[in-house]
Amino acid sequence: MNRFTRDGSSPRRVRRCIALLAVTAMATLAACGGAGGSGSGSGDEPIKIALIPPSGGVFAIYGRDTIKAWEFAADEVNAAGGVDGRKVEITAVETDGTPAATVRAARRAVTQDGARFIGGIITSPEVAALQPQLPSMNALLLNSSAVDDPLTGEQCNANAFRFVQNTRMAIGGVASSLKDLPAKKWAIMAVDYSAGRTSAKAFTKAVEASGGEVVMTQFAPQPTADFGSFITKLQGSGADGLYVHENGVDAQAFVNQGTQFNLFDSFKSIVSFKVINEPLFETFGQKVDGFNADLGYAHQLDNPENAAFVKAWKDEFGSDPYHVEADNYLTAQALFKAVEDAGSVEPKDVAATMEKLSMDSIVGPIEMRGADHQLQRSSYFAGVKFADGQLGWDDITEIPASQTTPTADPACKL
Amino acid sequence: MSIANLLNGVAFGALLLILSSGLALIYGLRGVINFSHGALYMLGAYVAYQSVGALGFWGALVVAPLVVAVAGVALELGVFRPLEHRSHVEVGLVTFGLAMIIERVIVLIWGEDTLPVEGPGGLAGTVSVFGSGYPAYRLFIIATAAVMAVGLFVWLQRSRTGLHIRATSQDPEMAEILGVNVSRLSLLVMAVGGALAGVAGALAAPYFSVQPSMGQAILIPVLIVVVVGGVGSVGGAMTAALVLGIGQTLGNVWAPSVTVLLPYVLVIGVLLWRPTGIAGKRVV
Amino acid sequence: MTTFSPPTEADQDPVPSGRPGARRGPRVSRRAWRAAAVVAVFVIGLGLPVVVSNPYYLGIATDGAVLGILALSIGFLASRCGLISLGHTTFFGLAAYTFAISTTNWGWAPLVAALFAVLVGSAVGALVGAAIVRTPGIGFLVLTLAIGQAFYQLSVQTALRPLTGTYDGIPIIYADGQTMLGRDQADMGDASQFWPIAWTVLIGFVVVVTLVTRSRFGRTIEAVRENEERARFSGLNTFTPRLLAFMLSATGASVAGVLFALKANYVSPNVFSFVTAGDSVIAALVGGWTTAVGPVIGAVLYVFGQSELGATGNLQLFTGIALVVTIAFLRTGIVGALTSLWSLARRVLLTRRTR
Repeated sequence: MNRFTRDGSSPRRVRRCIALLAVTAMATLAACGGAGGSGSGSGDEPIKIALIPPSGGVFAIYGRDTIKAWEFAADEVNAAGGVDGRKVEITAVETDGTPAATVRAARRAVTQDGARFIGGIITSPEVAALQPQLPSMNALLLNSSAVDDPLTGEQCNANAFRFVQNTRMAIGGVASSLKDLPAKKWAIMAVDYSAGRTSAKAFTKAVEASGGEVVMTQFAPQPTADFGSFITKLQGSGADGLYVHENGVDAQAFVNQGTQFNLFDSFKSIVSFKVINEPLFETFGQKVDGFNADLGYAHQLDNPENAAFVKAWKDEFGSDPYHVEADNYLTAQALFKAVEDAGSVEPKDVAATMEKLSMDSIVGPIEMRGADHQLQRSSYFAGVKFADGQLGWDDITEIPASQTTPTADPACKL
Repeated sequence: MSIANLLNGVAFGALLLILSSGLALIYGLRGVINFSHGALYMLGAYVAYQSVGALGFWGALVVAPLVVAVAGVALELGVFRPLEHRSHVEVGLVTFGLAMIIERVIVLIWGEDTLPVEGPGGLAGTVSVFGSGYPAYRLFIIATAAVMAVGLFVWLQRSRTGLHIRATSQDPEMAEILGVNVSRLSLLVMAVGGALAGVAGALAAPYFSVQPSMGQAILIPVLIVVVVGGVGSVGGAMTAALVLGIGQTLGNVWAPSVTVLLPYVLVIGVLLWRPTGIAGKRVV
Repeated sequence: MTTFSPPTEADQDPVPSGRPGARRGPRVSRRAWRAAAVVAVFVIGLGLPVVVSNPYYLGIATDGAVLGILALSIGFLASRCGLISLGHTTFFGLAAYTFAISTTNWGWAPLVAALFAVLVGSAVGALVGAAIVRTPGIGFLVLTLAIGQAFYQLSVQTALRPLTGTYDGIPIIYADGQTMLGRDQADMGDASQFWPIAWTVLIGFVVVVTLVTRSRFGRTIEAVRENEERARFSGLNTFTPRLLAFMLSATGASVAGVLFALKANYVSPNVFSFVTAGDSVIAALVGGWTTAVGPVIGAVLYVFGQSELGATGNLQLFTGIALVVTIAFLRTGIVGALTSLWSLARRVLLTRRTR
């Protein structure tokens, strides 16, 4: 039933021809598509930054706010004439948040769009997948979100710099306040990937150091739609303190469902990590009244840079900035300073100056630690209070970097 | 605490039950696994989200099944009927492609964010069940599923249409010879299957929240339930749904790593040992 | 019951040119021509990095080649045996993870790890195949889907975290100073360095599949596909050929998995995902799995779409549309459609000339 033999053409030969045609076509197309890629770092070359946030999922809102903050920083500096006359160009590429897609997008941004600096990547697995590829891409990664310790530990990379507090630093802020909390028997509910595992471990250590004990630890995959079975287990654990580390949408689901089960009333103290932030104040409302939370940044911080930043932000957007926006703005400022100090946009040169970066920022004086490329900055711990119909931070404690991260991770071999 | 755990399992099983009965009906009548059933469920949830504002939760619970029933009819007329003479695997693959299209279109319309849907005010609190508090809304889901199950059972067993459906599922050609209008029946079954998916989606909205991945996430459990329950057997699917829901949730407490593999082991075992499923060719 | 009815590639005996006493020369030279064509394509393909200097397009070509091997494994099984597998990610992912674990966790040499990974994938393929090849149609589809997803669940199980890293996956790290085929780890991520490896393996696999299809074994499998009962009654063992075909297909998927891990230097549960499983089947189908070349073309198109559409998130939309359109209208896929166009054009041109 071979309908091609009637007119004599052999299907196999035709297919062989197609194969050859396909190869040639591919090559021609590609050669024509040709000349994208890296230029040189001389003259007034703009500072090209590619942001690769997730378009959906748990972190979608952080992604949008990241872009917002970078564009705000870029507009601000471009209006003042740029960095040493160089314009700042931001391209945002959204992916589905999987490490493979992010690496692909980064490669594309570097080879096709000429980006030298990559930012806006939210999760630790994405950063972990991208970091080893950076040298071959000749680009720098500016990490203002992924908190997992190994990224500046055993996975540290000469082309990557972290500006957000890592898990150890953030938990350090929590740990120092543990002794003031009434609960002594803790249950831990954390998200099941590297950051959650690290924070659970760090919190357990802190609890034991303060004389308490951890009676239950459980991990939920990200995303988890139904926390029912986790909640019922927590209720049966006999703990009087709850530590919860969940992100974005999962945090919302956990808080909503926990409230449905009357979970939170059964604990004397609740410490939340990464759960509560300003954009979610309205959704959470009274449900999280009385929680204690980690805080990466508070708009109330009292220093001239922050005052100026918060005012300009509020004028532009009508609301106070929160940690995602502040961290990205901070990173942008650090990048601009490093480029200015280096006098070039070549990743190698900027990396050299960034390693020694020291400046006054919206979170006070900051310094980059050359040994592991982790920015030295304070962490904060605050109470969450529902008053006058809205949620707000209460009783903010500051814990300096010298306390939360006195030495670089010895596993980092830079 | 184990009562609450058990109820968690029953609630999930109940949702699966509603969704899988629809799929089982379609599978039984058409012999095709409708891979777009998860997308239909997702459509129901998003329509519910959209209608809650204007019509309240109860209104949404009516509108969502109606809309998805229409979608089911469209599926029948646009896909199943024109491709009637193609193999079941091919039509299955077409529904697979349709699922991808529908799910993406939904996201293009409503965005990537997770959309919160509040359940009805009256069901927001907890109810005391054997001493422990349990969310009233989940009990409502269980109750609804029970009502639907009984209703379906009675309809399939006692009514004339039910008889026709059972007959056609067993032997379409013979049923047609005996005077059953198979095309009209198919339309009806697709509408009912769609409606059931819509109800499941609407019920799931306050329970799971409405998000882009919900269609894909529910598809595999539903497929497993339907296949294990038996080719087109609604009763089998219902039983399998409850067993899976309870088994998984309880097992999660004791041995989570093993339990998560349970549905796969089950479906592989059933398919290899008894390819027509546990209930075989019986519809109810 | 056949699932697809492609135009069967009848292995024609060459028609002698009509002269009495024609020698069997034409058959030999036709084979020689074919072999020469393959070698030519191979050599030309090796030179791709010379022509295409843009690392972006070269990356697409490389990724396309790797996915092409996976797609071809699926396509071979689907078109020759009538078995459509939504679970070839099982072998793809298993081989990728085995490679990652043996190099990173156990410090093995990459080449040894790669061979071991293919072995593991093939062995599992044999076991799985033995269990499931006799299940017909939709049952086979659901079985393969279930097995693939079971492996996904295994890869994210907390209990296996030290081995698999669960959701975080495994960043692959060669032991100090190890190289793979003369390239060190950073080079493997470079498309121009990786291309020769990917291309060689791809061509090799295409040749193997083509030879198998044309052999007597290939005809046996097709007989079983057409009517298993009749084949059995004719005295053929219907189980072993299908099992062997399945094993070849699983080996192909494993090889693709190892190549994938080699290039990405990172494995995550994504390799087992439902989306990957579905998309690889669709790539093979849309390309046209009645041929060896079709799935590869489908894979390259898919990788290209993935890169271009990834940001918009519409990849799944277009993939779904491509699938529906192909099954409904272009039953032999893109290659089939092009082939039909070609013969149509030939017929039109020839008819014109003879008028």
